[in-house]
Amino acid sequence: MRSGKHERRRGEPCATALPGVRQAGGPRAGRACKRFPVLVVLVVVLSPFAGFPATLADLLTAFDLASYARHMRAPVFSATTTTEQPVALTALQGKVVLLNFWATWCPECRPELRGLEQLHHGLASRGLAVLGVNAGEDLTIIQRYTRNLGVTFPLLLDPQHTISQLYGVAGVPTTFLLGRDGRTVALAVGAREWQSPAARRILDALLAEPAPPKDGR
Amino acid sequence: MQALDIQVLAISADELFAQMTFALSLHSPFPFLSDHPELQVIRRYAGVQPHPSDPTRQVARRALFLIDKQGMVRGKWQGETEDMLPADEVMKVAHEIAGAS
Repeated sequence: MRSGKHERRRGEPCATALPGVRQAGGPRAGRACKRFPVLVVLVVVLSPFAGFPATLADLLTAFDLASYARHMRAPVFSATTTTEQPVALTALQGKVVLLNFWATWCPECRPELRGLEQLHHGLASRGLAVLGVNAGEDLTIIQRYTRNLGVTFPLLLDPQHTISQLYGVAGVPTTFLLGRDGRTVALAVGAREWQSPAARRILDALLAEPAPPKDGR
Repeated sequence: MQALDIQVLAISADELFAQMTFALSLHSPFPFLSDHPELQVIRRYAGVQPHPSDPTRQVARRALFLIDKQGMVRGKWQGETEDMLPADEVMKVAHEIAGAS
C-alpha cells in the first residue's frame, strides 16, 4: 500500500499538467508518467533516426489519415468515366486503389487532382489505380474544368450520388485508400499533398503487400 | 457525458461503411451504430420518414433519448432534419439523472 501511495504521488503532476490526457489514456497515462525515465531511453532507441521501420499505422497518422481499426471491405460499385469507359471496382482486384471524391466548385480539389495525376503517372505501373469520383455534376462542366488540368486518370460520373452515399461521403475532397486485398485502409477528409514523401511512403508500403489470388478480393 | 457515467450511442439508417466514414471524419469518441437495412431500433424509438432528396428511401427521424441505469426513458427530444437538439436541456436532465443514481 505504501509503495502504491508513493507511486501515485509521483504520477500526479504529469496528469495535472496535461488535462484531458489522463481521461483519454486512463490508467495507462499514469503509468507512462511514472516510468518517464525508461520511456526516454526507449524513444531514443526506437526513433526513425535509429532506423526503426515505421508501421503502416504510424505512416497513416503522420499523414493525418484516419485508419480503419477493423477489416472493412470497400463497397463495390461500377460507373462510367467522363470518356464513357465502364469501370468496376471488382475489375481492379489486386491493385492499390486511391478513390478521390471531388467537385469543380471545390477550391481545394484542383491542386489535389494535380498531385493525384503525378501519382498516377509515377505508380500506375506498380499497381496503383487512381480514380476520381465527381460529385454529381454535368459532363460538360467536368470536361471544361479538366481540359486544362491534364488529368489522365479515370474520372467517374456519379449523377445520383450513388457512390458517394455508399461510401458515406459528406463533403469534398474526401479520399479513400484501399489495399490490394480490397480492404479499406484509410480515409482523408479534406485535401492532402498526395505527391509528398509522406504519402509516397504509405503508397510504397501498400504496393509492397502481396496481391491476393485472383478471386480472393 | 463521460464524467456523468453516460454512454453515448449514435444510431442511423445508413449502411455500416457509410457510418464508419462519418464517425472517422468526426474523430468520434463514442460508437456509431448502423441500423441498416431493417431499421428495427429506429422504428421502435424515433420513427422513420422519407429521405429529403430520395423519397424511395426511409431515413430516421431525428431524436435523442436519455435512458437511466434502470432502463427507463427519462428524456426524449425530437426534431426535423435541420433542427439542433437542445444540448443545454439534455445536459440538465442528464445531470438530474446522474445525481439521482
